[in-house]
Amino acid sequence: MPEHSFTIANRIINQIIRDRRTLALILIVPIVVMTLIWLSFPKELGMLDYIAPALLATLALFFGFLLTGISFLRERSQGTLERLMASPVTRADIVIGYLLGFFLFALLQSLIIVLFTVYALNIHYTGALWQIFVFQVVILIGAINLGIFISAFARNEFQMVQFIPLIILPQVFLCGLLWPVEQMNTVLQWIAKFLPLTYAVDGLRGIMVNSKSLADVGGDLAVLAGFALAMSFITALSLRRGNTT
Amino acid sequence: MSANELAVDVKNASFIYGKLKALDALSLQVPRGISYGLLGPNGAGKTTLIRILVGLLKSSGGSVNVLGHSPGRRTASQIGYMPQQQSLYSELSVSQNIDFFAKIYGLRDKIERQKKVNDTVKLIELWERRNDGIGKLSGGMKQRVSLACAIVHNPSLLLLDEPTVGLDPELRANFWDHFTGLNRQGITIIISSHTMDDAAHCDRLAFIRSGQVIASGTPDELTRSTGKNGATLEDAFLYYVRLGEKKNA
Repeated sequence: MPEHSFTIANRIINQIIRDRRTLALILIVPIVVMTLIWLSFPKELGMLDYIAPALLATLALFFGFLLTGISFLRERSQGTLERLMASPVTRADIVIGYLLGFFLFALLQSLIIVLFTVYALNIHYTGALWQIFVFQVVILIGAINLGIFISAFARNEFQMVQFIPLIILPQVFLCGLLWPVEQMNTVLQWIAKFLPLTYAVDGLRGIMVNSKSLADVGGDLAVLAGFALAMSFITALSLRRGNTT
Repeated sequence: MSANELAVDVKNASFIYGKLKALDALSLQVPRGISYGLLGPNGAGKTTLIRILVGLLKSSGGSVNVLGHSPGRRTASQIGYMPQQQSLYSELSVSQNIDFFAKIYGLRDKIERQKKVNDTVKLIELWERRNDGIGKLSGGMKQRVSLACAIVHNPSLLLLDEPTVGLDPELRANFWDHFTGLNRQGITIIISSHTMDDAAHCDRLAFIRSGQVIASGTPDELTRSTGKNGATLEDAFLYYVRLGEKKNA
């Protein structure tokens, strides 16, 4: 483990804990969103049971990306990243430190979403709860690094938010949340194969709806893990000294 | 002057942002243990030079030596850097910000670090406000915390990019008391500024314009070189600007 990763992670955790409003929003927003979705779906058709896995995957990607992207952008625009890059820390320190710090809160959000969906909204699912969490963890690692990486292309929060329709929405439309990937035209099916959310939805649906084991959806998990690893590597490369603003 | 006696030795350093030549074969030598002012208007290349010295940018030509090495991770732990922006974590308190940078710069022992952080908070005269969030402080107080983050690890070289900008005269004098104190401890200070008030406090100065050093020396040498009695540093700067323009004409 790089020397300063825990110091950076600890600082991020302290920052969020001291920012009570952000902390409250992190905890409350997922519950509000899932409640609204639950209220808007007819209960008798069992539709929500079918789309719940896709929602869990999408919200993990969305919240992980947003939380990290905006926070990291602030590091760039406030000059704290430049100051950090001028210190003896390595790129690995920063990437792993951020991953650990934000992962804690992103995971907390995911836990709230999954537990609220399963126990409060009473969504029916098969498979083990821990298998769902394994998927959520891998999705979050990719989403956090994606957020850090994309923040390099934005100069302010407004621009960062504009990346949501560009990075997240196409994945939502093509991942199988709204209609099955197999029913899309060939070009869209082909594009969907390159989007991590497609594999997240396929894997989670396999576990929660089709009673598959983690080994059965190992292919989906491997693609997501590969994406998370690739994003970590690309993010570390993007954090060059001199590329901090 | 031998390489060991120099904190900074820059020879023909250049840097280009897109089409803009920020540094144009700039050369500069800074002896150890003094306060050295980089004086010039906005856009002269002062910040670019400081960012090269701290290792954030790489010179596109020539050679750059800081404390005997090329700037980078190797020299980073011996440098204290105060950027132009305050660059502080607004959610954290005064002590937490300083403590974070103390850890990052290698102060591992908790008791020793705590003592060093407390001493630094007292030095910048914010002991009563040590637990307050940065967001609750005035601009001048934030500048002091930013300075504290740069000096908490006892660096050999302090790079300060326009540290007194926006400060009232009393606070500016206060800052210079801090800098003089650090100088007495043997710390080399390089400070960029565009105000003549700051320049007068430095042991040596380099006038920078359009990415080049147009003159360097002690404040006294520079004012005397104008040939006018009672010349100020502003007169000296303008003298060298016009001299350069005559040469180029």
